[in-house]
Amino acid sequence: MNRKITTLLSILIAGSSLLMIDCSGNGSKKADDMSIPDSIFENKPLLISKEAMNDIIDNISSPVEMAALIKSAGAPFNQKYLAQTNRVDNLNTNFKQALNLGVYGCDLGYLNMYEKTGSIMVSMTAIKKLADELRIGQFFDFNTIKRLATNNENLDSLMYISVASFNNMDEFLRESNRSNISALLVTGMWIEGMYLACQVVKENPERTVIERIGDSKMVLNSLILILRNYKSDPAFANLVKEIEKIKKEYEAVSVRYEAGEPEAKEVDGMLIIIQNDKQIVDISDETLANITVAIENARNMIINL
Amino acid sequence: MKKLVSIISVILLSLSFYHASAQSDDLVNVCALGIGNATYLKDFKVKLPASVANAPSTKFNVILNKGTLYKFTVCNAEGYEGKAVIKLTEGPNVLGTNLKPDGSFQDAVGFQCNKTGMYILTCGFKGGKEGAAVVIMSYMNK
Repeated sequence: MNRKITTLLSILIAGSSLLMIDCSGNGSKKADDMSIPDSIFENKPLLISKEAMNDIIDNISSPVEMAALIKSAGAPFNQKYLAQTNRVDNLNTNFKQALNLGVYGCDLGYLNMYEKTGSIMVSMTAIKKLADELRIGQFFDFNTIKRLATNNENLDSLMYISVASFNNMDEFLRESNRSNISALLVTGMWIEGMYLACQVVKENPERTVIERIGDSKMVLNSLILILRNYKSDPAFANLVKEIEKIKKEYEAVSVRYEAGEPEAKEVDGMLIIIQNDKQIVDISDETLANITVAIENARNMIINL
Repeated sequence: MKKLVSIISVILLSLSFYHASAQSDDLVNVCALGIGNATYLKDFKVKLPASVANAPSTKFNVILNKGTLYKFTVCNAEGYEGKAVIKLTEGPNVLGTNLKPDGSFQDAVGFQCNKTGMYILTCGFKGGKEGAAVVIMSYMNK
């Protein structure tokens, strides 16, 4: 109980200090000379409204959900799925940093899910470095995460702080007119989440994971919509080209629905609504294999930037 | 003199904004750590003024995934009379709410999603009273 209160207090104090840092000008780090100036994007009209774009970015599913699905499908933890963190120093533009930050953020969710606290610290060091380069490092309470991870202490709080840190970084980027960076961050996360799912399915063709890969078609379409906004930049154009290859493979996936009446039941005092609609994802082995290759190519492009 | 008043006003406004923002972040932390056997995914902050004629509400689009049991936990901020009413809808269909038929509230509502898609989470305050609240979206651990 005392431990929980201490953790809660740490989070409250850390949260308040983060806000103060935020109010005082986003830290002291100088902007990277190799950064993409935001003005490049701001001066060009967006294809979709800023509100619509924020809405889409907000709704790219959390990588934690994919990691939870993988774990609940019974797949064992596999370190070899994860991206190497030893090349962060080579990532010298905001474009490369934001995409890879998304990749590492997703890997962090996977590590958290399997409670691999030792590897979390290695991942966190890379994440902190990239977040600092992007001037959003103030949203990472590195010391609390380090303490929770190294002491194997309160892993629920560790998961919460990790996820909330990414949510806060993303929110800050969009509020400060850096939606281009936010779009890259969620793209990196999404690609890595899909990569993990595809690797798991290769070794253990679990139906629930295959269905999730199939029904990600909707999110993929939204992702392309936001990335196309910045297509005038050659780096974005290349990324869009790679992701459109994934979209092409998804054309063979179809999703059907059968309507049903929802029902309510009370479990341990909580009302639970059960949706009785049915969703049927039609995805052949060949299509799944083609999607896997397209995802691997996009992911390899990002981690070799 | 006028300039000084303006500067002081801006400082006071900034401080009150900072205070409100810090308060809502603290509420998120407290609420997120009280979700029980569930894992935090995201939070929604809502603050609405009183309005008797047309009770205001805020809508959030959320993508929910098939096979996941979601939990929406509501925490009301202290110092406000309004109690948050949340509603989860899909198109025109209301799937669930935390407001019981007898007018009392559930602290949390679960939703077993069997269809990946866009849903709408609406949050307002009962009777159009002024209120501030946080809704934590999480998934229930199996």
